[in-house]
Amino acid sequence: MKALAWRFGGLAVVAVMIALWGEIAALKLVSPVFLPAPARAWTALWQGFAHADLAAKLFGTIRHMIGGWLVASFFGVALGALVGSSKAAREYVAPTLEFLRPLPASAVIPVAIAMFGLTPQMAVGVIGFGSIWPALLASVHGFAAVEPRLLEVERALGLSRWQGIAKISLPSATPDILSGLRLGLTVSLILAVVCEMIAGLDGLGQWVLLAARAYKSADIFAGVILLGAIGFVANASLRLIEARALRWRGRRTG
Amino acid sequence: MKALKALALPAALVVLAEIGARAAAPSDSVAPPSEVAAAFVQALADGSLVTATRDTLMSAFAGLAIGASLGLMTGILLGSLNVLDRLMELPLELLRPIPSVAVIPIALVALGFGYRLEIVIVAFACFWPLLILSRAAVDGVEPRLIEVSRALRLTPLQRTVKIVAPAVLPRVFVAFRLAAGISLIVAVTVEIAVNPQGLGYEVMTAGQALRPDLMLAYVLWIGIVGFAFNAGLVFAQRRLFGQAARVEAAR
Amino acid sequence: MTAATLIAFRDVDLAFGDHLVLGKLTFEIHEGEIVCIVGPSGCGKTTALRVAAGLIAPTRGEIAFAGAPVRGPRRDVAIVFQDYSKALLPWRTAAGNVSLALEALGTPRAERPKRIAALLKRVGLPRHADKFPSQLSGGMQQRLQIARCLAQEPAALMMDEPFGALDAMTRQTLQDEMLEIARATKATIFFVTHDLEEAIYLGDRVIGLMPHPGRIGIELKIDLPRPRNQVTTRESPEFLRLRHKLYDFIHASEKGEAA
Repeated sequence: MKALAWRFGGLAVVAVMIALWGEIAALKLVSPVFLPAPARAWTALWQGFAHADLAAKLFGTIRHMIGGWLVASFFGVALGALVGSSKAAREYVAPTLEFLRPLPASAVIPVAIAMFGLTPQMAVGVIGFGSIWPALLASVHGFAAVEPRLLEVERALGLSRWQGIAKISLPSATPDILSGLRLGLTVSLILAVVCEMIAGLDGLGQWVLLAARAYKSADIFAGVILLGAIGFVANASLRLIEARALRWRGRRTG
Repeated sequence: MKALKALALPAALVVLAEIGARAAAPSDSVAPPSEVAAAFVQALADGSLVTATRDTLMSAFAGLAIGASLGLMTGILLGSLNVLDRLMELPLELLRPIPSVAVIPIALVALGFGYRLEIVIVAFACFWPLLILSRAAVDGVEPRLIEVSRALRLTPLQRTVKIVAPAVLPRVFVAFRLAAGISLIVAVTVEIAVNPQGLGYEVMTAGQALRPDLMLAYVLWIGIVGFAFNAGLVFAQRRLFGQAARVEAAR
Repeated sequence: MTAATLIAFRDVDLAFGDHLVLGKLTFEIHEGEIVCIVGPSGCGKTTALRVAAGLIAPTRGEIAFAGAPVRGPRRDVAIVFQDYSKALLPWRTAAGNVSLALEALGTPRAERPKRIAALLKRVGLPRHADKFPSQLSGGMQQRLQIARCLAQEPAALMMDEPFGALDAMTRQTLQDEMLEIARATKATIFFVTHDLEEAIYLGDRVIGLMPHPGRIGIELKIDLPRPRNQVTTRESPEFLRLRHKLYDFIHASEKGEAA
């Protein structure tokens, strides 16, 4: 009950913030070229769906984001499993991975353009490259950190190599992997937007950039709102899946 | 021995790249490591590398400073005032998922190309990790210490400065390290997407000029800068906080 | 007449690098026996258990199980670890944890629910099948581990200070339950503990190890009547006599004097 009251309080704060936004816009404290009134942004949103191809752009971004992320995550987890389970592999590979970790994935965009041109394939390549790292690194960590006692139980019970991976190592690494997948999805959204901006691919990145060039601030805000919505839904969905998959974590350990 | 093992894979990759790139020559997208190294030296010599690095780092640092300090202050505020924290939960939840690159067009219209555009975007990106992690750090301050501050009748300001701040410092530093990494990535991304300055822009121009050796040199350099930056901060963390940081960071 | 030898240590040496943990360790455990190993800290009793279980290979010497040399963990040898929370799969329910052993054995899917239910009943957890380990108390978690071990239908149970992390009341309850399981299944039990009274209470024989390197210092035959009772057995003059002897041994060992 109390939680609900706080939720309403939060909604009230949001309403107040929007009202403030409206006031600032009405008083023209900030130029309307840059800050549209909330009502105008809202209108632009619906107009975009009704009369322009905003829907197509929305789905374009979603497609780019998810397609690259799914494939990359699969390979990232699989590769991470191989590297993480083997001490020898870790010693050779981990330092290189640590070096590559801070590298911005966006830096490979020009290389990808040189290879594939300004095409959807380029975007898939870049998004895949960007989202494989969080999945790979999280997977390596998860597989390397399996409770040693459980590995002894695996030996004691006489489980085969594959049984061990499937029944013990993989479930043990799942919390880390899910966290890495969530991060990967955030990265893939960003890279999708950047690729769309640069290569003019069908998506919200292109929409907002074109709106910026035409100084249509209401359209920009409409696009940004949708991008925020995609980020929100993607993150919330994965958190839900995480919560369900990890419900065995006792309230005891907190 | 460990160092040798660590270098084995990169060394092998460099050799393979050299052979493979030479075999595939001439190409617009790949160049052998030897040519990449040559291009790197050239860019260093004629000053373009230095200028670009300076531009990127200046924007990254400025954005980091602004975003991180705003995030820190807000985080401490929310962590300390429960009412404010619960009211702001929803609004922040709605704003956080907006990707930093989505803010580019808005800033572009307002500020045009240049340093300010980049600084604003970087600040936006660095704000969130500091906010979330410093808020959590304040939340995690040993309740016993808060009781002590009440027993000593400290004012809220005194309590914040004398007890909360030192207690959260190690975790805040870890958050800062995270934000620092983000600042560099976002700065380069903004340059690749729209901004005609800095390392990202140099990579793009080299690619468009069909100079894969120069392009890859810059990509590698970006990686080195990012790695060095993070390594420097890890070193600073160990020196400043020693054991405490490792314990706190593990939480 | 003594039963057949199940586990035999013959001149077993175990060294970690330069450090000799076990030195020429030689003893036998017979079928159906409960043998308790005690000794001061660092005497190598846990290491001896792990060697017997096939988790570590000896540096020299031989361990035989039912006549055959031990080359690795065996399906018919079950290991009960002291840190039960780390030995259970936290993401599986109690039933799921027991099922793991059945899956390893290749038990047909259709048979599993019945066997799991019977095993959980045997250890006193019939109504907790769908609970996760984090929702169970320490004693219940240890019972669950025992249930999983029993699923292997083991010829021998290796128990490494299984009740050490539990409170006194729970410990006594589980001691009696373990004796009941031993009686019903006729399993051979290799029990490591630092609790001398527990060793005498449970065992048919108690072996005391001297440290540096681990070797036999004392061997006591426990002739106390079965079934044992927490109150009467522990008060009996014979129990007290054995206890006295063991305490003296440990005391002398810790001081470094030969037994």
